[in-house]
Amino acid sequence: MARIEPDVKTVKEIQAAGGDTVKKCYQCATCASVCPLATEEVPFPRKQMLLGQWGFKEKLLSDPALWLCHQCGDCSVYCPRGARPGDVLGALRNMAVRELSEFKFLWTFYNKPWGLPIIFLIATFFVVLSMSFFMGGIPGFFHWDLIPSLNIEEAHILFLKLSPNVLAIDAVFVPLAVFVVVMVGIGVNRMWNGMVENAGIPAAYRLGFWALVSTYLVPAIKEILAHSRFQECGANQWRFNGHRMLLWSFIILFFVTTTVFIAADIFGFHTPWPLYNPIKILANIGAILLLYGVISLISNRSRAAMEGKLTSSYQDWFLIYLILAVGLTGILTEVLRLAQVSLYPLMYTLHLIVVFMLFLSIPYSKFAHLVYRTTAYVFDLYSRDVRAKMAALSAAQATEVAEGAPAEESSVEAEGASTGEEAKA
Amino acid sequence: MAYDKILVVGGGISGITAAVEAAEMEYDVYLVEKEPSLGGRVAQLRYYFPKLCPPTCGLEMNYRRIKTNPRITVYTMATVKNISGGPGNYKVTVEIAPRYVNENCTACGECEKVCQGERENTFDFGLSKTKAIYLPHPMAYPLRYVLDKSALAEGDLERIKEACKYNAIDPDMQPQTVELEVGAIIWATGWKPYDARKLDNLGYGRFENVITNMEMERLASPTGPTGGRILRPSDQAEPKTVAFVQCAGSRDENHLPYCSYICCLASLKQSLYLAEQNQETEIYFFYIDIRTPGRYEKFLRRAQEEARINFIKGKVAKIEEDPETKDLIVTAEDTLSGKKVSQRVNMVVLAVGMQPSLAGETLPAGVSVDENGFVQISEGMYACGCARLPLDVMTSNETATAAALKAIQTIVRG
Repeated sequence: MARIEPDVKTVKEIQAAGGDTVKKCYQCATCASVCPLATEEVPFPRKQMLLGQWGFKEKLLSDPALWLCHQCGDCSVYCPRGARPGDVLGALRNMAVRELSEFKFLWTFYNKPWGLPIIFLIATFFVVLSMSFFMGGIPGFFHWDLIPSLNIEEAHILFLKLSPNVLAIDAVFVPLAVFVVVMVGIGVNRMWNGMVENAGIPAAYRLGFWALVSTYLVPAIKEILAHSRFQECGANQWRFNGHRMLLWSFIILFFVTTTVFIAADIFGFHTPWPLYNPIKILANIGAILLLYGVISLISNRSRAAMEGKLTSSYQDWFLIYLILAVGLTGILTEVLRLAQVSLYPLMYTLHLIVVFMLFLSIPYSKFAHLVYRTTAYVFDLYSRDVRAKMAALSAAQATEVAEGAPAEESSVEAEGASTGEEAKA
Repeated sequence: MAYDKILVVGGGISGITAAVEAAEMEYDVYLVEKEPSLGGRVAQLRYYFPKLCPPTCGLEMNYRRIKTNPRITVYTMATVKNISGGPGNYKVTVEIAPRYVNENCTACGECEKVCQGERENTFDFGLSKTKAIYLPHPMAYPLRYVLDKSALAEGDLERIKEACKYNAIDPDMQPQTVELEVGAIIWATGWKPYDARKLDNLGYGRFENVITNMEMERLASPTGPTGGRILRPSDQAEPKTVAFVQCAGSRDENHLPYCSYICCLASLKQSLYLAEQNQETEIYFFYIDIRTPGRYEKFLRRAQEEARINFIKGKVAKIEEDPETKDLIVTAEDTLSGKKVSQRVNMVVLAVGMQPSLAGETLPAGVSVDENGFVQISEGMYACGCARLPLDVMTSNETATAAALKAIQTIVRG
């Protein structure tokens, strides 16, 4: 008889990460029935609770269910044992982000309160260094002579006539973006392989990157933009609107930033642009949506916590307040600049620092759900298809076998193999 | 000076047993019952454990023991209002509500025939109605009618009085108070079904064909609203498919944190009622764990053989109604296959848990209950049956006999 050993270390890790109630679960499966997102074929979170009690780390952390949960808290409210499955899944997501990441010390800085000043210092270091290098410091505040700063002429020669403030930003954020993209790529790759392994998808049904992206990413993104699953999560109404506003504000701000980047860096349109510029108008709408979204999330999260639906961890509040800081410093910079208050470059620097922190947090903080949840959606759509195909195939085989044609059996196998080939192709 | 009498509060099977056992040891006993009749929950059942006897069996025998024993004084429609003193010398104030029908009543039933006003039949959990003047149930003790004045129709009182040949109707009866002096008190206040409306995801009260296990007992009982035919409430049709939802309120921190002991067995027993009515009835039995304490394990085997039961390990946490057919769609995760199941059935029976009757009640001084409402035992204050913990009839009677002995010990010690 096989003897299964619990992994006590992982269990303790889960408990420390905010899943302290995991052991209270007695497997009644109330959670999986009340969950509006748990499907008939792959219900959750009961299985995840059981795996958590045994500490089966690999199975758990490569389980798409972690990310299909939107933490409405219904399971925690109806749980007869106070095992709070919603919070346990939150803790597991947190652990998954760590496992999937590279340079895990950065994860630690992002996920422990004592790491906050460290990230702030890292961001400040890069931003101020770059500003000192290209602009000789923060205009009107300090001049850092220790760094041999470039004069405007030199900069023009060196960097295709770009203005120093554009250069100061690009020098920090372009490499940062590259770093983040690579880190996220590594994480998504690990996650995908784990999920395919864990779900036991036969080799014949595994698809290449582009096939997956072209078939499943678009519908997944459509769902995300519409927030359709989020909305299905009945008890999530309190968060639905704020979260959607926030998502749209990020999309708008991403678009605006990219436009400005292209216009300023390639075509040399200097910022700041006038307020009546359509891009500027859009940017301001984005900023207002962001503030609206994040503030409604703060108030609703507090209310949900009072109703016992969910417990908010440091990681939850960290991300929310970081986004709030991005929004506030951005708007204050604009207001101070328009009011011609001399404080504005300092506020702008602060804004760049918090934007740096937010950017770098994508592979390490709760912000990672942006990519990992999307990946899980893609996997969910893909694995549904695979299950349907496999069921159809085995049904076809069963009928053929039932018809009692032994000669045809080999042809069924051949057919199965050819379907596999097609899928591979 | 210590008193040598015993007060038993509650006239269900436990209280009756405690009273009779003490009286047969030659101690004087007051038996106080809040309802107009003795019998308690057992009287409402179709069959009871362990041997699946109809309630007449055990109750009749015990009524006879009460009738023939002059040491037992029974007060019905009576509640304990106040307790003073301590072990060995309690002074208890008991208030008796007016029955408006005196001892002359022979339960001939002539009054009922002429009465027009009706009231909800609480004995049938509102599944039927009685007249304003009614017999609590066919096995009532004392076998005497009761008048609910608030349910009288115009002219009823005159008609009833005229119909009664024994001059038993007394509309001017007043509440009475009696002072009892006793050495020990036995709480046998029993249980009440947990309020299934609080289980908002199971649809009780919203969906007609979601019933409780105690309502099922009344439906199956020959003295019940359907004369013993199990018919679903929406269309009075015989259900072909029935789901039993176990742990409806029990083992749940949000409701009753403890196991109610008997519900698994009650649902298995009710599966037999259904099989008895129609062998083809398909039963879906949703459970967390099937708990059949002690030798009741055998009963599980019997139910498996005699009824068509599909066991699904998973708690039901969602019930929806098909508004057309009034069928129900029951959702659970079958934890053995790992798939979510949605089962359509004609009727759902919630295995609602037992809550001690004293839970949420204002209690007379001197009696203390735990956080769930179960009586806590102390010198002079004993408890038995489901007032103490959830039990079956057999074990309730054992605890009743034990409580009688403890009460006698308090008296003997003085």
